[in-house]
Order: sequence, then C-alpha cells, then structure tokens
Amino acid sequence: MKTIQKKLLFIFFLLPLSIFAQSNLKGTVLDNFGQTLPGVNILVKGTQNGTATDFDGKFTISNLKKGDVIVFTFLGLKTQELVFNNQAEVTISMEEDASQLDDIILIGYGTTKKEDATGSVSTLDAKNFNKGSVVTAENLLNGKIAGVSINTSGAPGSGSEIRIRGGASLNASNDPLIIIDGLPISNDTGVGATSVLSSINPNDIESFTVLKDASATAIYGSRASNGVIIITTKKGGKELAVDYNFQYGSGKKFNKVDVFSANDYRNLVANLLPSQVANLGTANTDWQDEIYRRTDFVDNNLSIRGNLFKTIPTRVSIGNTYQEGLRLTNNFNRNSFSVSLNPEFFDKHLKVNVNANYSNQRNRFTDGVEGAAIRFDPTQPVYDPSTPSGFFEYITAYDDGRPVYANPSIANPVAQLLQTNDRGVNNRLFGNFQLDYKFHFLPELRAVVNLGYDKSEGERNRNRPTTARSGFLNNNISFGEKFNESKESLNRSLDSYFIYNKKFGSVDFEGTGGYSYQKFENEGLTGFNATNPASQQIAYVENDLVLIGFFARTNFNIKDKYLFTFTYRRDGTSRFGEENRWGDFPAAAFAWKMNEDLLTESSLVSNLKLRLGWGITGQQDIDESLFYRQLYNIGNPNSQYVFGTNPLNIGIPSAYGPIKWEETSTYNAGIDFGFAQDRLNGSLDVFYKKSNDLFQIAPFADGGNFSNQGPQNIGDMSTKGIEFAINYDVIRNDNFNWNVNFNATKFERRIDKIAAGVPVQTGAGIGTGGTTQILAEGFTPNSFFVYKQLYDASGNAIEGAFADLNGDQIINGEDRYIYKNPDPDLLLGFSSTMNYKNFDLGFNLRASLGNRILNGIKAENSYTSQLVNGQLQNVPTSILDNGFQNQGGGLNILSDMYIENGSFLRMDYATFGYTFQKWLDGKATLRLFTGIQNPFIITKYSGLDPEITGGVDQTIYPRQRQYLFGANIKF
Amino acid sequence: MKKIKLTLFTLLGVAFLLQSCVDDLDVTPEGQTQLSLEEFYAQPGAYKQALAGVYGNLSLTGTGGAESSSIGGVDAGTSQYGRVLWYLQNLTTDEMIWSYENDPGTRELQRNIWNAQNPVIRGMFSRATFQVALVNEYLRQTSPEKLSSRGVSDTQLLADIDLYRKEARVLRALAYYHLMDLFGKAPFVTENDPIGVQGPEYNRAQLFNYIESELNAVLPSLKASRSNEYGRLDKSFANMLLAKMYLNAEVFIGQNKYNECLDKCNELITTGNYVLNPNYLNNFKADNHLSNEMIFTLQSDGTVTQNYGPTTVIINGQVGSIEANGSQFGVGGWGGAIRLRKQFVQKFDGFEFDNDSRNTIISGSRNIDISDISDRDQGYVLGKFSNISSTGIVGSNSTFVETDFPLFRYADVLLMYAEAQIRRDGSANSTSLGYINDLRQRANNGSSSANISLSDLTLDFILDERSRELHWEGHRRQDLIRFGKYTGGSYNWAWKGNATNGLAISANLKVFPIPQAALASNPNLTQNTGY
Repeated sequence: MKTIQKKLLFIFFLLPLSIFAQSNLKGTVLDNFGQTLPGVNILVKGTQNGTATDFDGKFTISNLKKGDVIVFTFLGLKTQELVFNNQAEVTISMEEDASQLDDIILIGYGTTKKEDATGSVSTLDAKNFNKGSVVTAENLLNGKIAGVSINTSGAPGSGSEIRIRGGASLNASNDPLIIIDGLPISNDTGVGATSVLSSINPNDIESFTVLKDASATAIYGSRASNGVIIITTKKGGKELAVDYNFQYGSGKKFNKVDVFSANDYRNLVANLLPSQVANLGTANTDWQDEIYRRTDFVDNNLSIRGNLFKTIPTRVSIGNTYQEGLRLTNNFNRNSFSVSLNPEFFDKHLKVNVNANYSNQRNRFTDGVEGAAIRFDPTQPVYDPSTPSGFFEYITAYDDGRPVYANPSIANPVAQLLQTNDRGVNNRLFGNFQLDYKFHFLPELRAVVNLGYDKSEGERNRNRPTTARSGFLNNNISFGEKFNESKESLNRSLDSYFIYNKKFGSVDFEGTGGYSYQKFENEGLTGFNATNPASQQIAYVENDLVLIGFFARTNFNIKDKYLFTFTYRRDGTSRFGEENRWGDFPAAAFAWKMNEDLLTESSLVSNLKLRLGWGITGQQDIDESLFYRQLYNIGNPNSQYVFGTNPLNIGIPSAYGPIKWEETSTYNAGIDFGFAQDRLNGSLDVFYKKSNDLFQIAPFADGGNFSNQGPQNIGDMSTKGIEFAINYDVIRNDNFNWNVNFNATKFERRIDKIAAGVPVQTGAGIGTGGTTQILAEGFTPNSFFVYKQLYDASGNAIEGAFADLNGDQIINGEDRYIYKNPDPDLLLGFSSTMNYKNFDLGFNLRASLGNRILNGIKAENSYTSQLVNGQLQNVPTSILDNGFQNQGGGLNILSDMYIENGSFLRMDYATFGYTFQKWLDGKATLRLFTGIQNPFIITKYSGLDPEITGGVDQTIYPRQRQYLFGANIKF
Repeated sequence: MKKIKLTLFTLLGVAFLLQSCVDDLDVTPEGQTQLSLEEFYAQPGAYKQALAGVYGNLSLTGTGGAESSSIGGVDAGTSQYGRVLWYLQNLTTDEMIWSYENDPGTRELQRNIWNAQNPVIRGMFSRATFQVALVNEYLRQTSPEKLSSRGVSDTQLLADIDLYRKEARVLRALAYYHLMDLFGKAPFVTENDPIGVQGPEYNRAQLFNYIESELNAVLPSLKASRSNEYGRLDKSFANMLLAKMYLNAEVFIGQNKYNECLDKCNELITTGNYVLNPNYLNNFKADNHLSNEMIFTLQSDGTVTQNYGPTTVIINGQVGSIEANGSQFGVGGWGGAIRLRKQFVQKFDGFEFDNDSRNTIISGSRNIDISDISDRDQGYVLGKFSNISSTGIVGSNSTFVETDFPLFRYADVLLMYAEAQIRRDGSANSTSLGYINDLRQRANNGSSSANISLSDLTLDFILDERSRELHWEGHRRQDLIRFGKYTGGSYNWAWKGNATNGLAISANLKVFPIPQAALASNPNLTQNTGY
C-alpha cells in the first residue's frame, strides 16, 4: 500500500492562491502510519482555492471563511473533509482507502490508475483470489480473468499450462512471461521441484496483473508476445497484524477409466480366447483402486506485519504445505519463508523494498502407472508371497534366485509405486532489492534501481531394490535402480530507470526510460542410473542466456479525458548473432473517457472508456541457445566410435544459421464500462494478433548444412478473438453482499504460412515417432490429422475401412485429413462471493466449449488383439462398441471416430465459512470454513477427464476431489 | 546535499556500468559437450575425433546417446544409417514383415505403397546427405591452409590427416552410392561449396562417374586390405564399393561392366586376405567384428556405441511373440516385431537345407502365412543374429547389442563373382561353381552334401542363394531389381503391392521418391517419375 502511495507522491499541482486572504489555516497531514505526508491536495469545496502539503507534510491555506469545507485528497488514501471553524492549526490523519487502492495497477516499470489505463490489463488482488485448496500460485486466478486459461495436472504441486489469448508461437514457447516483484523468472522447472510456481507460497501473493495486449506488454519487448503476468508479493505495514491460516483437505479419486472387472474379464476371455482361460488368475483386482488412495492435505501459514524498530515496515511469513497425491507414496511438501522490508529514508525521498523468499521443497515422485493399471490383468492379485518381492509379477524362471521376468509383460503397477523411492529436494531463494529515489532538487524525477535474484538448487534420487520389476532390466533380470541428478540455476536481473512526471497546463505528462539486464545460468549433473553399467553421469554447463533491453514509455493525460501512451523497447539476446541480435518493439495506445465528454450528466453511467492499442512484441524463447554460430558437439560416453580398441567421443559440427526474433503485431480495441458508481462494471475487448517470422523447424537443403532441418523464421500465424468480463455487486448492504464475476473468451488461431507450404506433422503419437496432429496453412495449430472412418448402413464403424480421399485405390498417409482441433470455441468463467452477516459462501465455475480430444486410450487399446501381449491384458470396455480386432497397421488408431467433443463445465471449489468477529474479547477475528475442491464436472467426454493438455488423451494423473475445512485467525 | 549528490552519482554510475554489459550478449559455450569451432580444433586429437564423427555417422544418430539425432523429421533411432538402409533394402521385399505398422513409415514401405512424405525414406536421404556434409566439413577443416594456419606441423600427424581425408572421401562416395542406388539422384555438394548451398541435382550417370573417380583417386593411398585398425576402411572397402557399382552398372547407367566387376572381385579374393568363417553364424554374433570375413561393419556396442541400428533392431525384433526367446539371443526383445514372409521361408525348402546353418527359421506351431500383419503369432521367425559372442559371452546390455552390422562381407564377393561371370559369359564356369560350393560347404559344417553342380548354377539360383546367404543384410531390393523381379508381377510375395498374396507393382518404385522436405528446401531437385 505504502509503495503505491509513495510512487504517486508527485501527483499534485499547486493551484493559484487567492490574494484576498481572509483567514489562514496552518496544518500537518499524516498518513495512515502517522508519518508526515507530502503532496496532499487541499481544496476548498466549491472554489478554486487550494494548495498542497510540502515535503514535511505541512501546508498553509488562506482566504478561508468560517464554514468552508476543506477537502484533503491523496491517491490511495481516503479523502478527508474538514469544516473550517477558525482553527489556527490542525493535524489531519489520512486513512487507507481499500477501494481506491484497487484502482492502482502495475504496468511494468511503473504503475497507473485503472481509470487511466490504456492497454488491455486485468488485475486480481488477494480478496478476489480463488478459494479452496490452492497449492500453486497460478490457481489463485484460474477462471477469473478473460483470455487467460490455466490447466493444472492432478499431481500435487504440479505445473500448469498457462495461455494468454491462446499463445502466439508454433515452435517457440507459448508460456507467458512471469514477473515476480520485478524479476522475470525462467519457465524451466528445477530438478527436484514439481513446477516453476510451486516454490511460491500462494499466501504471500498480494496481486496478479495480467498484461494482455501489445500496447501493455511491449515494455517487455522480446518476451512479451505471449502476454505477461506480474506477481506482487505482500509488503510490510506499520501496524502489527498477525494472520494465521490453517487448512485441511481429504481427497480421493472420483472417476476411473472404464475397463473390465475381473468377472467380466473372465467372461470376455472365455468368449473370445478360450485357449487363454487357463492363464486367468483367481483374484479380483481393480488396479485403478489399488494404485490410488485417500489423500491428506495440510496447509499452515503464519504471517506477521509490523514496524520493525519503529522505522521499517516489515512482513514475515512462514508456511508449510503438505499435499499427498492420489498415487501411492506421491507427495509434495513445501516449507516457505519470506521477508519483506519496506523502509523509507530522507523524508521519503528514498524508498527501499527488499523481498526475500526462501522455499524448500521435498517431493516424493511417482512413475505414471495409469497405463499399466488400465491394462493389467484384473484376475491377478497384487501380492504373491511366492515371489522374492512379495508382489505378483510375470516370472518365467529364476536365475541364481533372481526372477527372470516375462517379456513382454507389464510391471505390477502397485509394486512399481511401493518399490520406488523417488525423492527430490529443491531449495530456492528468490527476491528483489529495490531503491526508488525521488530527487531532492527535482521532485518530479525519480530513479529506480531493481535488483532481482533467483537461485535454485535441486537434487533427485530414485532408488529401487533389485527385487523391483521396474528396476533396470538386463536380460529380463532386474538390477534395481540408483538414479541421481542435480541442477543449479541462477537468474539475476538488474533494472534501472527514471520516471519523470509533471503537469503542463491541462496535460499530465509521465515519461519513463531505462535499462534492463538479465542473465540466466544453469549447470548440473545429468541423470544417471548406477545400476546400469552403460549409463554415466556427466557434468554439464548450459550456455548462458543474457537479455538486455532499453525501454521508454510516455503517457499523456489530456484534460483527464484523452490518454495517450507510447512505448518503445529495444532488446538484445545472446541467442542471436550480431546482425539479428537487436529487436525494436514499439507500441501506441489511446484511450478516451467517453463519459466525461458525452455522459457528464448521467447518474447511471459512471465509467465509459474506449481503448485502442497497437504494438509489436517479440519472442526469442527457443530450445537452441547459440544456433547462430557453428559449434562442435561432443559425443557423450554412449556416443563414441571405436578406432582399434579405443572408443573416441565423436566430434561433429552442429547445424547453424541466421535466426531472429519472432514478431507479433497486436491490435486491440476495448471498452471499459461502469454503471451505478461502478457497481456493475466490466470490459469488452476485441483483438487481432498477427505473428510473423515464427520459429519453425523447417528443412535445410540436404547436404548443405549439418542437419536436414533447423529453426528458421518462417511461419506466420494470426489470432483473432473477443473477450468479455463483467463484475456485479448484485446485493450491497450492511448485512448482505453478493458479488458475481463472469468472463468469456473466444479466440481462433490460424496458421497463415509455414515453410514451403509443407505441413508439419506433430503432436503426441502412437508408435515410434508417430504423430496425430499437424501444422498446416489455413488451419488451427495442432489440428488432428486422421483417417476418415467408414460406417455400415446401420451406422457401425467398419474395421479398417477408411475413405480413399485421394482416390488412388490405396489407403496410405495421403488419405489422412485435417479434422477438428483441440482449441476451445469458447471459454467461460463464473465466480460468486456471498456474505450474509458473518456467513460467507463462494464458488467458481469454469467451462470450455468445443475443444476436441483424441481419446488415445480408446484408440490404442480397444481391440481384441490387445487382450494378449505376451500375457493377458485388460482392455477398455469400449472394445464392445465396435468389436474391432486389431490396430490395423496403425490406421484404426488414427480413425477420426476417436476424436471426441471435450466440452466441460467444472466447479473448481465451493466454500462456506463463518466469521467470529469478536473472538477472544474482540482481540481477534476467527473464520472457520469448509468446502469442496473439484466438486463436479459435467462432460460428455468418455475418458477420465476432458481437461488435458495437447489434445491427445494418453492417460493423465487424475485430479482429486477434496473435502476441506480450515481456520483463519487475525489479530 | 553532499549525500544526495553521492546517491545521484551512484545511480548514474550504475546505469553507465550496465551499458557496457551489452558485450555479455556474446556468450560462448562453457560445458564440455559443446565447443566453438576454434576450441574444438585446438584440442589434441581433434582431427581424429572429428574423423570419428565422420565414421560415427554410420553407427550413431547423434551425440547424446541413442535417443539423440542430428537430423529430424524422423524418430531418432529410426534414422540410423544402417537402419534406414536396411528398412529400404529389406523391408520392402520378400524377406521380412514389421509387426508394428503404427511405427510411421513402416506400413507403407512393407506394402510398397510409400510416398514422398515417408519419414523412413526421408531418414535415408537425410542421413546420407548428412554424411556428405560431414565429409565436406572435414575436408574444409583439414585443408593444408587450415592446418598451417592452426600451426599443425607434426609430420606424423600431417601424414595421418592426409590418410583420414582420403578415408573420409571414400565414406562420401559410399553415401553418394546409396543415394544413387535408392533415389537415382542426389543434390551434389562438395567441400568447395559454402554452408547453406542448394546443391545441383546429379543423376545416376553423373554420380556414377563421380564416385568411380573419387574411389580411384584415393585407392592407391588407402591402407592395404585388413591392415587398418578396426573401425576404419581400407583398399578392400573401396574395391567392394566399385565391384558393387560395376555389378549394378546396367541398372544404374545402362552399361555392362561385368569385366570390371570381376576384376574388382578377383582383387578382393586374391589379395584381400579374407577367409570364410567356418561357422556361418559367427558372422552375426556379439564378437562378429573379429570374423575374418568382414570387409566393413557398422559398429554397435552395449555401452560406448549405443544405437538403434539394424543389429539392435534385428536381434530384439527377431524375438518371437510366442517363443519369448530373448535369452537365447542375449536381449530383452520386442515381442515379435519382425517375422518372415512365406516366399523367403520357401527359399529353404528341400532336403539339401536340412543341415544348412544359414537356415535359422523357427516355425514352431506357427502358420507360415501372414493374413494379419499385426498378429505377431502368424508367420515364421528367424534366429540369425545374436547378442551372445561366439564363445558364449552375453552382451553387456540387453537392449543395445554388441553385434556389428555386416555392411560388406566376403561371402558377398564370392556371390558377386559368380553372378558377374555368368552374366558376362552366359553360363557358369568352374571357378564360380567352386566359390558357390565354398559357401555351401561352410554352411553345412564342411560337408559337401549340399554342393551343387555346374548345371544348377544359373542366375535364378544366384538370386535365391544370395537371399539364403545374405538375408537381412541390406542387399535384397538391389538384387531383386538387378534380376528384374522387384517391380512388375513376375515375382510376387506376401503383401507386395498391399495384397495378402502379393500383387504386381509399378516400375517407378525401383527408386524411392525424393522426400517432400528435400524438394521444398532445394529447388534444384526434381521428383522421380511416378511420384
């Protein structure tokens, strides 16, 4: 709060004083912490008579009459009124104004008032965050902001696929740039950690700001094409406040893939494969029940705010999150500690912000055993006392007492989980140190220096005994596993910039200019398994990534009605050669507060603002770090060539070529509206993004380079879309408040150009190197590329019969066609918060309409031939639908009939709470709540869960349903 | 005020310091896995290490283990040089069936319905042209000017490098030979072209002349047969390549060069210092590189040279779905990936093959016919290759075998001699008969019981005998084409032309299509007729 207020100190203007002084009033204005406050606007109501406090918070106002109402205003603080009673001297204490603070938004290297924002920017602060069990930070805003989609896996602490307006790249990353307290972070998950954002305690987050269009993001130049998420952590305060949160959740799975039960399976085998009946077991095992469990979730968080040594506003927080995964043994355990110090010096001319966050994650990871659980023979038992491990496995013989496992056979998935001890530890320290200095001799000018630091150290060890079938197998005998890997990542940034703000007549001008430097370094030891004699651990150092930028932004606010923003950034990256190293990223935006011109008399319309924005942003995040220069790659210990008896690590040249930035031009038009003092408010945006020079792995002329293909700036893609968000205080009174929030997003991505017009097959596949999707001109990226199934007169699919689309009498790859795509037609979010007296009720809903899924589990397994693969195997019950015999040379797998509509409506959480306002004799408040995480999903999708990434469902880590209760105590 | 000034100067100072950091954008590799060009060649042993890279492309797909690849558009393991060669030469014929047709490209290849988008065909084209690019780079980096500019003056090293360069040129000739055979054309690029060049299209005749002249240019300087260290080529490699070109010259350039072929075979037979291994199967075991019959092998090793090359695929693939006989070959196995087509099995029909050690066919309770390719229990399986050594030592790794792939083997020379002699003279002579019966006796443990007579020795016999002797060794397609039986309907095998019992296929399939990506990236290339 304090920071914002400080940053806006300069927003004042000395108004002319009347010379006809009648009476004078002297005084001092104090802020909410009792400190003197410069720059407070003071105006006599209904007159032009006014002044402002000086740097010591003192003021003198003349020409007063008894009964005049003097108004004290300061951005971020509640406006105060004083009736003049011929006092000689007064002291005014300003108070924090929560409602006004909402209106300050971060825009990258600065802030603006929401009403003055010119770009497409959405903010979400702590009081509007998602409730329920939130382990990773991004889930605080899932479904809350139009244009932002977040898809989190079911594994505890796992990462999310975050997309803002669908992403703008084909081969480069589509992840948005995430900035924590001014430090852009890397999107690579550390070794031993579960995801990038899993290191942040969600309780430490104050707000999210999402920059969506280029006029807002261009200040981040080369990294801005996929949007920007700015995370601000909570800051210190001067009043002592203690906040303790406790939450407990008990979870379980709520859905299974439909496979045969043991008894149904026996009947199926008896009917279809009578010769195999003898191989059936006598047990009745539901493997999907056996690999999962009921889970515990415990979250403890304590934070203290206060004024350290009476001068340093401080916040300290400590937290622990323990979340068990559905899979046996899987858990996530995070300890976090954060400190924020926010002192001020030299009469508030120098503001210092120090934020340090430390997190220690201890995770136990598990293998994906869903596929094995689906296929494992349900008539076999989990345990078998006759084997060395005590688990049932398919054993053909014993060699020196060691089991020789049948090949092919599936490992017992329960044994695989219980015999695997896969632990990761990741320690991460990140934060920033910011100096914000307002010049004494030129108070309109501020200099800001921000240093960011992020270091993570992780290690992972996986051990399995030699009795584990899932260990390293040589000649079908297990040697167990002793796996180890480690990695250290360092990310440092330094930003320095100047901000100049001054009002010239009716024009309020702000200019920002600065410099940004960032360096990413990674090194570690590659993963290796000591029980595999052919495996070796190698120390590696990744090529550093250095990003340097120069940026400038000017804002003109004319008559508080017409707003212009011009942004320019020039960025350099170590990824590109000197001739392509620097990119220029301009942007411009205009906003018109229409209500100030057209609807001045309207009491209904409180806000109506038109926004127009244009800008160019870039993307440089590709896998190849130094593709522009020729390098020699050295073979690892398994990639040697033998001369005589001496193996030599081969040395071969790497492919290279000129590459440059991807560029995305974005056009955005939006309207912000508010009715009845913004009780109903919202915005509508339409946008068009055109990405050029997209990285594409495109062919090189064979023989001319050191690969047949490589990254080249060739592709073009366009995205058009519309976003709508509305927020409504349905009921607003002392006892009863009800707020609803709704947003809708529709966007369409189209590939306009790819290299030589030759479609690129891509996506998850079936078979070695198989693909199911395609990048083709005129279509949405990753559209499905399949065969057209033929059906008989009664509508049943005919096995192996596909339309000969090119009419050459041969069914081959040339008969595949593009059918549907995984992008949703419409994304919807709805949330509701209701308070009645001391009761509160909240929930949210998310829907995705028209997204398609290739049901890979069905496509791969729904054949009677899958009943035996060395051993008997279970199959999805969907084999009964069509009675197909086999995969038909891989064609049946790629039938368009396995592409399903994945539309869904999901409730992420519903919580119900009661607050004891005067707990402990009014010294504290206590809120008790209960709730359900993931209470329901409505879908026609026949698989486990339609919320998948990538479009092809090949088993997922299922999401759990949790029953929650918790307490929140505030002193 | 002093304090303020100090603060201001500090801030400005920091800002200016940062400007100079722009130089940090020049990042150099720090790890041991990637070096700059200059750093690489400054290392001792760099020239031999780079030569290992040139040779290594015959075995390895990349520098990061078997899953890594220098080329794309095809699964890394599938792009191994010998693997793609073996797919194109054997899978498209009567010798084998690949069960997992959802492995991209395999279905179309084994049913002879491929097109220009086939990833395996692109893998072959790209792997061979990558070989050309590697050799060209090696020649550029080892030019006398480059060597002197780097201060290489050791006479022994200079002499070694001179020989390395010649061996590299032979490997480039080999790559062009494969392109000429399989595609009938190639983009022509040499060390004199810059990086990024779009090579002009050379047809078969141009390639033939180039390969011949290159081989003849370096032949005198190459090491004598079997005198070079393991893993490197010698005179016999070049002679073998020339012999194969001459044997197929009618196909390649429409000219009869059987005399030249016989000369080369004679040279190999008389001066090559090769002998048939008394145990046929020792040529396909984990220590087969020690066999005196090997002219050149593609390396595979359970630890140092891991790859999904032909031997790893064959040995894991020949493990039967019913037999589960992986331990017999020292591997885990892939559940019946490869089976035999009926027409190949029938090559061993007859009592004379009862004791033939080349007949490793396992029939068990299996049906000889394959009506459903994905049914791995149909069709017979083979047991030719093994990851166990001739002395019974099991390979160190049950996936990546120690067994090398016999690219050129002496037995082939004897068969080529007989064929060229018959083709030149119209009928077999006693020398040819002697060579064929040498093979027969070796296959029958020294017994002459299966020997043939002069009247048996016809061209048709040679074609079948080549398959019996050399099956799965990367020759079959070329042989069938030379005998006019690959395309058309004179010889149909199961699933030829995508029909269970086989169907005539178009003559244009004698060469594979130029991959779509290759055409798109090089406008000089034209597509082969019929694609």
